[in-house]
Amino acid sequence: MSALTVSQAADYAEKNPDFIPCYPQRAFFSVVVVSILAAAAFASWLPLQVSIVTLFLFAGPHNWFELRYFLMRLPVRFGRSRNFFVTAFAGLAVLTVAYVSLPFVYNARLWSDDAWSTIIAGWNTALLFWLGLLVWLRSRQKRKAKWTWTIPAGLVLASLNWLGPDSFSLALVYIHPLIALWFLDRHLRRTRPEWLRTYRRCLCLLPLVLAVMIWQLSQTTALPDSNGLFWRITQHSGAEVLPQVSSHLLVSVHLFLEMLHYAVWIVALPLIGGVIKTVPIARHPRGFPRLVAGLLIAALAGVVVLWFGFSMNYSTTRDVYFTVAIAHVLAEAPFLLRML
Amino acid sequence: MKALLFACLIFSASVAKADLPKPQQPPQRAAREVLHTSLEISTDPKAYEAKLQISESSLKELRAALDGAPVNGSIVGGISISPTRTIVAGLLMFMAVSIAGILLARSTSFGRTQKTVGALVLVAVLIGVAAIITRGNAGPPGSYRWRNLPQALAEGKPTFGGVDIEIVPDGDSGPHLRLVMPLKKQ
Repeated sequence: MSALTVSQAADYAEKNPDFIPCYPQRAFFSVVVVSILAAAAFASWLPLQVSIVTLFLFAGPHNWFELRYFLMRLPVRFGRSRNFFVTAFAGLAVLTVAYVSLPFVYNARLWSDDAWSTIIAGWNTALLFWLGLLVWLRSRQKRKAKWTWTIPAGLVLASLNWLGPDSFSLALVYIHPLIALWFLDRHLRRTRPEWLRTYRRCLCLLPLVLAVMIWQLSQTTALPDSNGLFWRITQHSGAEVLPQVSSHLLVSVHLFLEMLHYAVWIVALPLIGGVIKTVPIARHPRGFPRLVAGLLIAALAGVVVLWFGFSMNYSTTRDVYFTVAIAHVLAEAPFLLRML
Repeated sequence: MKALLFACLIFSASVAKADLPKPQQPPQRAAREVLHTSLEISTDPKAYEAKLQISESSLKELRAALDGAPVNGSIVGGISISPTRTIVAGLLMFMAVSIAGILLARSTSFGRTQKTVGALVLVAVLIGVAAIITRGNAGPPGSYRWRNLPQALAEGKPTFGGVDIEIVPDGDSGPHLRLVMPLKKQ
């Protein structure tokens, strides 16, 4: 049996509304697989150089697209979700301010190493408590949801965090990029359910690629950290927390996950999502179109400022970005919970 | 009589001598492991002398280890140097296990057998987590990474692996550095 051409499939689809042509799925599958393999190849080949270029190009834009996506998911009136959103925004603000102040606290040099670890563990515990509170508030809205297991799970995580605060923080660095894949999964379930199976098959490739990367790179020599920028990149990937692991492996794996993260927010979700007019709080008669437009324009200006900063002083801008960017990491939690 | 006195003198002398403490032997100073870090062995055909290069951060860690200060080590090391954090972690783990047990016991969707299995799985997971925490840094034996060293040296390729820095007492050959590689005869 010969395959249908695109035009034949289109004609057939017009006559049969239930017919779903498989061409987009195949294209989607191909794009996802090629993206994963290409990201892994570049991340393994030149981790430091690609990391610098990737961050410069995509860090700011991905935050802008993320902000736009969150605005799209924000209801016009909170209604029954009022407590949830109040908790989400209050926690977001408090945790972000606390995190941004940590470098200043550290530079005050009033703390021993042990006390500093306790401070980090305290912030991580506050994060887990906030997440637990959001899960509890969300579960009250979903009567069928059985999320009580999250309480002991959260306590176990908090316990592990107190045993190794640095390791826990490093785990967050590596887990955060994967959250974007979860967002895409939930979004496909709503908008392109026929693609979901294909997408999840593609995700099966991820552990395989990671295993190959670890196998290939575990024996490699450490990356040079002779200058401040390279040192920052290796430290961010956990070279100090895991001194026995090759920094080449650490940077490559982290970069690989970050590239997937950027690809989801900048390419996948906008293509599937929609245009600016779909932001409910902007298009609704009782909405805030000017506020939304102002926010997005301000964020766009922020992207330009970030590019300018990277051009002038890459290392310092990188430090500032990764400190302030904790806000977008935290913001993902409530919006993901709303999609569960 | 004289013979008896002589015998008594000899006996008392031997008793008195026996009560004397034995001369103090100088204590044997054993090798002291101060730091576990990573080592790269590479070749340089242009070099005229063997070089031992130490990064600044490694030197700082070594200095801290020699001074007895805590260095970045394993999780177990972290536990041992911070009792406060260990106590908090223990309390949280206790609460986690307790709440998980209560939730499991109150769950109506599980039968007795399933609850028993669930409890066993929970205990197994906890033991597993504890084992990972205490032994997770063990990994494969350190010699595994060095197994191809001779071949790599012959080919001029670098080899990367873990190394224990030990402070040993000065030997007969005077001050020197020695690198002991965990290689077995092929």
